[in-house]
Amino acid sequence: MLQLSPLEIKKNRTFIKVWTITFLIVFPLLIVLGLLMRLNQGEEINLGMDKFYVLMTLHGLGMAGLLFSTSFAALWYLIGTRHVKLNLGIGYLVYFLILIGVIGLAYATLLGKFGAGWYLLYPLPFKNAIWPAWSTGLSIVSLIILGVAWLLGMLHVLYVLAKEYGGLTNLLGWQYLGKKEVKKELPPIVMITTISLIPGVIAYLAGAVFLVMFLMQFFEPTLTFNMLLMKNLIFFFGHTLVNITLYCCLGWVYALLPEYTGRKWVTNKVLVYAWNATFFFIIFAYFHHLYMDFAQPLGLQYAGQLASYFSAVPATAVSMFGVITQVYHSKIKWGIVPLSFLIGVGGWAVGGFAAVIDATISVNLVFHNTMWVPGHFHTYMLGGVVLFIFGFFFYLSHTREEQEKDISGKAGFWLFVLGAHCFIATFYTGGVNSIPRRYADYKGIPIESTHLIGAFLARLAAICIIIVIIGFLIMTFAILVKLIRKRVAITEPVQNS
Amino acid sequence: MPSKTIHIIFITVISGLAWVISFPLNEWFSDTMPRHQLLQLPAMLLLGILAGLRYSRLIPIRFPWDVALLIFIMASLVFWMLPRSIDTAVIHPAFNRLMHVTMLAAGFLTITVLRQTIFEIRIAFMAMVSVMVFVTGMTLVTFNILLCSSFNIDQQKETGLRLLITGMFFAAGTLFTFFSGLGKKT
Ligand code: HEM
Repeated sequence: MLQLSPLEIKKNRTFIKVWTITFLIVFPLLIVLGLLMRLNQGEEINLGMDKFYVLMTLHGLGMAGLLFSTSFAALWYLIGTRHVKLNLGIGYLVYFLILIGVIGLAYATLLGKFGAGWYLLYPLPFKNAIWPAWSTGLSIVSLIILGVAWLLGMLHVLYVLAKEYGGLTNLLGWQYLGKKEVKKELPPIVMITTISLIPGVIAYLAGAVFLVMFLMQFFEPTLTFNMLLMKNLIFFFGHTLVNITLYCCLGWVYALLPEYTGRKWVTNKVLVYAWNATFFFIIFAYFHHLYMDFAQPLGLQYAGQLASYFSAVPATAVSMFGVITQVYHSKIKWGIVPLSFLIGVGGWAVGGFAAVIDATISVNLVFHNTMWVPGHFHTYMLGGVVLFIFGFFFYLSHTREEQEKDISGKAGFWLFVLGAHCFIATFYTGGVNSIPRRYADYKGIPIESTHLIGAFLARLAAICIIIVIIGFLIMTFAILVKLIRKRVAITEPVQNS
Repeated sequence: MPSKTIHIIFITVISGLAWVISFPLNEWFSDTMPRHQLLQLPAMLLLGILAGLRYSRLIPIRFPWDVALLIFIMASLVFWMLPRSIDTAVIHPAFNRLMHVTMLAAGFLTITVLRQTIFEIRIAFMAMVSVMVFVTGMTLVTFNILLCSSFNIDQQKETGLRLLITGMFFAAGTLFTFFSGLGKKT
């Protein structure tokens, strides 16, 4: 167990408080963008195409970036207060770089009207774009700044952990695979962090390549790069980032859930095999985004389907089975923290399953770019990652007793979960009814029934979003009251028998 | 041999090589784009790096100066890859010599800073340089319009291809440094 001075503990708490408050401010703003989009699709308001795509771009980029940053910050806090000392100077550098990147993006979208979507849809920003060129340039530079920030943060955590645990192979848990006795136990959170962040670093390299290519074309618009190469690079980066966001959260579920169940959750051979397999598959699963690209070599399409299937099995199955064995007959008291983790794992399972369905080539032929796609990723993001994050915030702000007794917090939580899953159901229903994704509205669809169903589902979704917002506000109030009034709960792990 | 003599010999050799590349051989190097961009520029950089390997420890560099210097190095590399700078350098030998001095300094500072800075910044810098070299190569290969009027399109594409390969090697080097940095035990 790491020994920290009171001053160090205080500094770490201030750091995570800054992140918590940032999340609680930015997240609802991004939800409101989603609400406006759904109202527009439901023909309740008239944003116009240009504004719709601006909101969609900021919403997508903002949510993906915010959730990754917050998951990483929480991981940073737990590792930095329990396992190794991390340099808070680097932590704040990362925070401020992210802030600069986000301000740049907000400026480029809201004022510059940049609306190319969250994966920038090359070569769209350079072909008859309706927004000024500077906003494309600013978006690219902002994304590069965000990338550098994340890279620095990830490198720091990996490096410090490697020094503490005796090198990379130990971080990957390979010492558990031999016959020798393991000298220093490897906490699962440390192994999962490693397995999440190393692909993150590699994906960053791919991300930097396409962003610098964008920058080149920004300076010299007559340039054109190979579109298939660009798409591969973009999805390798984007898909990996979203994947590792989930894995970062799982890291703290492995660390915190045992404190509630009183059962150990330690690293063993099965866990090592499962997570190391994930390490491999995570890198190839992104091919499923390119099924419609006929120019992509056929072998890679099959590789995409296989990697998507296999990536779902090891970490997912092992972690879910782990959660069940943790809680089964454990006499756990269902305070808001374990509840968030359990329901979050449920969201992850459902979203993951929907993803695997869509990653099946024959199904993808029908579902590609329908509302099924936002359906699956909103399930494991909104119904998974966000719940994990809230669980973590309650863990920080509330004592164990408060977690169990906070009625308003729990009410907010259930409202949020209810609203979120109903909202997501409108996406799935849309997908099954062939409602296309990324349509500002459905008025132009010549099949009248599709237009009417799409608009109706969007209106229904708007009602669900309002429930989500109410739930969010109640939870936020419960967290902020405790967080501001009181010192943050100390995150010492309970020694389980 | 006394160390003072070694210093003198070392500095004389480096300065002599720099002079040969910059003066008597300048015209030959400026003849084609690959020679100019892939031989002359890296040769100067390499001489700077060699000097850095020997003398970098004499200059202590701490945060935030390391970051500032790395930005300077990156900016120099970008500046001397711009078509306008290349054209001017080929036309005006004096301007070309400015490039030589900058590259010597950049090489020297690169090794000085990378030796002293923290792991995180070292890897981030190496990653960005690899990406930059790779993308510059990709751009030159892809672009069908002549960028530097002093050369021709075939030379431009040849330079691009070689830069692309160099970028890949740099990226492999970055990953190697990254994994070996993580692999080292305390
Ligand atoms: C209550 C919360 C949320 C609401 C109301 C909402 C709403 C929406 C809507 C209406 C769309 C456009 C769908 C379409 O027509 O294609 C969308 C897209 C998207 N959302 Fe959300 N969303 C929410 C939460 C999240 C979360 C937590 C994430 C986390 C990653 C997220 C990431 C995205 C992304 C990446 C897109 C795709 C943007 C694009 O296609 O470029 N959203 N969301």
